Amino acid sequence: MFNKPVDLFGAAAFIAFMAVLPLIFPGNYLIGVLTVSVIYGIWAVSWDFMSGLTGRENFGHSLFIGVGAYTAGFLNTTLGVNGWWSLPAAMVMAVLFALLMGLPTLRLKGPYFALAMLSGAVIMQRLMLIFWEQTGGEEGINGLTPLIRNQLGFYYFALGVLVVTTALLMWLARSNWGLILRAIRGDEATCQAAGINVTYYKIASLMISAAFAGAGGAMYAHYQLQVSPQLFAVVTSITIITMVYVGGMATIYGPVGGAILLVLLTELLRNFGEWRLMIYSCTLIGILFFLPNGLIAPTWRRVRASLGAKE
Amino acid sequence: MLEILIVGAVSSAIYAMLAVGFTLIFGVARVLNLAHGSFYALGAYGTYFFTAHLKWPLLLAAIAAIAVVAVFGVFVERVLVRPMRASQLAVLMITLAVALVVEQAMFLTFGSEYRNVPAFVDAKFHIGGVDVAGARLLALGVGAAVIAALWLFIQHTRLGSAILAISQDPQAAQYMGIPSDRIFTVVMALSAALAALAGILAGPFLTVQPTMWLLPIVKAFAIVVVGGLGSIPGSILAALLLGYAETIVGYTVSTSWTEIVSVAATLLMLVVRPAGFFGKRAAF
Repeated sequence: MFNKPVDLFGAAAFIAFMAVLPLIFPGNYLIGVLTVSVIYGIWAVSWDFMSGLTGRENFGHSLFIGVGAYTAGFLNTTLGVNGWWSLPAAMVMAVLFALLMGLPTLRLKGPYFALAMLSGAVIMQRLMLIFWEQTGGEEGINGLTPLIRNQLGFYYFALGVLVVTTALLMWLARSNWGLILRAIRGDEATCQAAGINVTYYKIASLMISAAFAGAGGAMYAHYQLQVSPQLFAVVTSITIITMVYVGGMATIYGPVGGAILLVLLTELLRNFGEWRLMIYSCTLIGILFFLPNGLIAPTWRRVRASLGAKE
Repeated sequence: MLEILIVGAVSSAIYAMLAVGFTLIFGVARVLNLAHGSFYALGAYGTYFFTAHLKWPLLLAAIAAIAVVAVFGVFVERVLVRPMRASQLAVLMITLAVALVVEQAMFLTFGSEYRNVPAFVDAKFHIGGVDVAGARLLALGVGAAVIAALWLFIQHTRLGSAILAISQDPQAAQYMGIPSDRIFTVVMALSAALAALAGILAGPFLTVQPTMWLLPIVKAFAIVVVGGLGSIPGSILAALLLGYAETIVGYTVSTSWTEIVSVAATLLMLVVRPAGFFGKRAAF
């Protein structure tokens, strides 16, 4: 969708907005919130690439996030490796886990794949607690070193990673690759009959998705300076799926907007104290009910239509 | 040994009550209802509210709680789930959102402290040298009786045959003049009532607090996957297997491993035989 001047302009406007926001409203609080929202953006985009395009809803995306974060944690604290090695290492580990989970489970359809991935994440979370002597249990691993000491600098780094990830995955989604993934969502049997190695494409797309999720996990670990089993929690996966849903499934750019919107909304709701999660859940029901195609992507489509751009 | 036998049977009975309702609504309406655990929580909280705040007698409170939860289940199905049934993900998301709203509603009204649901039987019983709380034995007895009654209802009544017909072939059933929308409502009410009953019976010996919906839904998922989605005998068998497996692991290894048993069983089953023991081969 980047072939039109309107889209390029939209993307540039979005990046400029995100880059300028912490300069207009200075303060570490806003930078922190924005950093978290950008990392969620990376997770949401990577989820959408696999699950949105192929229609295999992954309810255990937190598995890759947690694996990435714990890889960073072990490397950085136990082995004392420089923090910048965390990113590639986390990506490799997440890809290995994607292969491990994907090979047996990706032949499953619909809710079965969702459940298998969810179980995988729950098992990992439990194992982190059971082997607390190695993993630090409930406390997790503390004392990671920051990648960039300057908060604003790290935010720009995260924003850069998000932009590169989104551009890369969008390019992939618009290539023949993406076409095949969409075709698998449409009718897997027909794809197979047409001579496409469906299993290869599904596992490869899960591995790509996991790689970026793992990188995001490592970044999150180096931002929080600690990792905890909570990263593997089902809630993390569900939050990401909600973001993709709000953004618009299978659009790649939509989930970025969904992630940032929802993180900011959660922060705004802090003023409501204990009513916060209630309002959040009710908003979620409202969006699911009245906007089945999400919020961000359809809005952008309307904007570009009014600017005179054709599909 | 005897203790494992009894404790395992009690948790199996509770699991079976949860899983049967969960699998029933999936078999009939193809709805994976993530709000199922909330019905269980609402059953326990309803009984607590009616007995502690309105001072109703326990039996009346329990019946009222079951009725309220059944009506709530029908509301969720009619208003929220029905318009979304075309998309599997939308159903998962909306029922999950309902579960979160219920959790928050319980948190806002009753706070996060543990609440006590009174037991029907307070006495302890001696069985072969083992002390067993009456509430646990009651849960076992009532659970077994209710599931047997449900089985007879499905196998031997007109309404039961209609439910069975829809779960076997929804389209053909509709051609035969079975009003599928009305059946969905009945099944949802049944499924919610069963979960509420499980909550009421388990309430006295398990913790009643706002997040209590999560673990049962994970267990129900596991049981239903192992037994085969949509199959009632499958979920009863799987409930027994998991109930005992967890109890044995809890007694012999450590209680921190019990949570992993059901999830690992789910994963193993999905890899080896996704359709479960008695499910159709629809998972591939």
